[in-house]
Amino acid sequence: MRARLLLSAMFGALLASAAMTAANAAARWDGADDLPTNPLACGAGGAAAPVAAKPYNGGRAINPPDKAGKEITIVDVPKLIGIGYFNATTKGQQEAAKELGNVKVTTDGPTEAKIDEQIKFIDNYITRGVDGILFAANDPVAIAPVLKKALSKGIHVVGYDADAEPDAREWFVNQTEFNGFAKAMIDSMHKEIGDDGAFAIVTSTFTTPNQARWIAEMQAYAEKCYPKMKWLETVEAQEDNNLSFNQATTLINKYGDKLKGIFGMTSVATPAAAEAVTKAGLCGKVAVVGGATPNAMKPYVHSGCVKSFVLWNPIDLGYAAVYVMRAVVDGKLKPGDTSVDAGRLGKLNVINGSQILLGPAFVFTKDNVDKFDF
Amino acid sequence: MSVSVETRVFRAPPWLKRHETVLAIILIIALVGLGLMNDRFLTLDNLLDQGRFITETGLIALPMTFIIITGGIDLSVGAIVGLCAIILGHSWKTFGFPLPLAIAFALFVGALAGFVNGFVITRVKVPPLIMTIATLALYRGLAEGVSQAHSVRGYPEWFYFLGQGSVFGVPAQLLLLIVLIVIAGVVLDRTTFGRTLYAIGANETAARFSALPVDRVKLIVYTLSGLASGLAAWVLVSRVTTTRMDMGTGYELDVIAAVVLGGASIFGGSGTIWGTVIGLAMIQLLKNGLALTGVKGDATIVVIGVALILSVLVASSLERRQD
Repeated sequence: MRARLLLSAMFGALLASAAMTAANAAARWDGADDLPTNPLACGAGGAAAPVAAKPYNGGRAINPPDKAGKEITIVDVPKLIGIGYFNATTKGQQEAAKELGNVKVTTDGPTEAKIDEQIKFIDNYITRGVDGILFAANDPVAIAPVLKKALSKGIHVVGYDADAEPDAREWFVNQTEFNGFAKAMIDSMHKEIGDDGAFAIVTSTFTTPNQARWIAEMQAYAEKCYPKMKWLETVEAQEDNNLSFNQATTLINKYGDKLKGIFGMTSVATPAAAEAVTKAGLCGKVAVVGGATPNAMKPYVHSGCVKSFVLWNPIDLGYAAVYVMRAVVDGKLKPGDTSVDAGRLGKLNVINGSQILLGPAFVFTKDNVDKFDF
Repeated sequence: MSVSVETRVFRAPPWLKRHETVLAIILIIALVGLGLMNDRFLTLDNLLDQGRFITETGLIALPMTFIIITGGIDLSVGAIVGLCAIILGHSWKTFGFPLPLAIAFALFVGALAGFVNGFVITRVKVPPLIMTIATLALYRGLAEGVSQAHSVRGYPEWFYFLGQGSVFGVPAQLLLLIVLIVIAGVVLDRTTFGRTLYAIGANETAARFSALPVDRVKLIVYTLSGLASGLAAWVLVSRVTTTRMDMGTGYELDVIAAVVLGGASIFGGSGTIWGTVIGLAMIQLLKNGLALTGVKGDATIVVIGVALILSVLVASSLERRQD
């Protein structure tokens, strides 16, 4: 009798807490992180209010061997291998390695975007002994202990695409300003669905760092400039093609006419969402906007299903990451520096203390998508 | 006239033909081979480090051995890990429990989840495979519901000791695992409880008619499985310093592979803790050794699959010769 009372009390507490957390979550879009946002000005050409230069907040490698000018071996562990986006970053890394001549870089990683697997990969490479580790994190906090272990063994750590906690790595190559990407995404969607359209978001997971940052900035910008646009739901699709397609189709079936647009937050989700819209026969009625590689989107852009999508050049991103690693090893990039030389990309600026900015987001449309091949 | 010649037939001693011995020999050969190919593999540092990664699967593999010996199975362990991890984080952050209470509550929820499995399996007589597939989805869904997919971070420093600290150079969680391995081994080998498990696996009806407390024993092992999953969740969260809703996905397959590789028959009635430990060590050390030698990414899984098949073939051919 007492046991039953205890049990029901426990279940009641569980349900109450679920309700509480649900109520809390309603205040913020699913998939957004808790960091402060800095939305850009509304309308065309809005530039950010200049943010005060921040002091260096990255970690330091402890007693790294001096390999200035000598050959180094570095490993690249992206979120997962086998998708077009990270194939492109690898291509850029190999290009930079060839240009520099004294860098050997291999890409190795899990075949699914799982943080536990990624940690084991990095740990194995620490044991093997590499000079530097490049990474794109599946989870910014979970990856921190193993990266700090690398730093403590004198291995240099540079991130790209998806950051870890700042003190777990030395530098992070940021492909584009988070608020710039958010503005480009929301503006593109607004152009297609108007002031009071309703949209849903397909992302990787709610804790993947870059997606979480973008969604937070997108929320801030949308609330500032288009307060009547309605956010319906965010769903997770783990960078998996089939899952992204199924999630997008579920959204279409669930909201029916109410759904006017779908955001794809990963290079896998956007073409999958476009495919779902095409298969549902809703091209032109449901807008699809997101980050994606040109090659994946060309068929949908040409069929008119997708009017525009946003990205940067992942080949440049990989290229810059290797140059940054080389500069760190050579001692040419030190805490407190404000820019770094990145080969054919010229000088890249340091922002937010220890991030290196690749450049502004780029909007692809029918008119320019054919010029690119990645 | 016929001359009869006496020939001496070599008879291998019984312990040599046991599955566990064959496995141990294969493991030693593999270790030596990999150690020769790579000088970082057999260092104490690396082996202790791998001990950290073995612990989560190892903790769950102990009660899983018990369950498989009884002829049952528990596929929901991965989901229970996820649920307990979420309960640990969220009861601390969102409900405001003090952290030690949150840990205890998470372990309690794990045991409760296992108890529910065992209760339905023994009272309602649902086959374990079906029940635990159902609870796999149920518990994962609960984890999603409670957490709303938010992760919890920012634990105090002392919390990380279990997952990242060492005692006299040995990783803390490995010590925990070793203690539990010894206890589990003694229980299985030397207690009535252990013998009952084998009896249930060999012939459940006969066990019932021998007045053995079959239902109570089964209930206990499934509850233990849930509790071990909760413990594994605690170690995992302490190791990665964050709580994620998708933690533990796929653990059930790793655990069952280790137990079955270790010689437990999936139909029940045989299996030892020692075998499970060798199975665990083999999978983890092979993966690690191959990766250090330069075998890329998931090609290590191919090699492990081949190694598993080979060891099972060798062991079963030895068994047949024995008959």
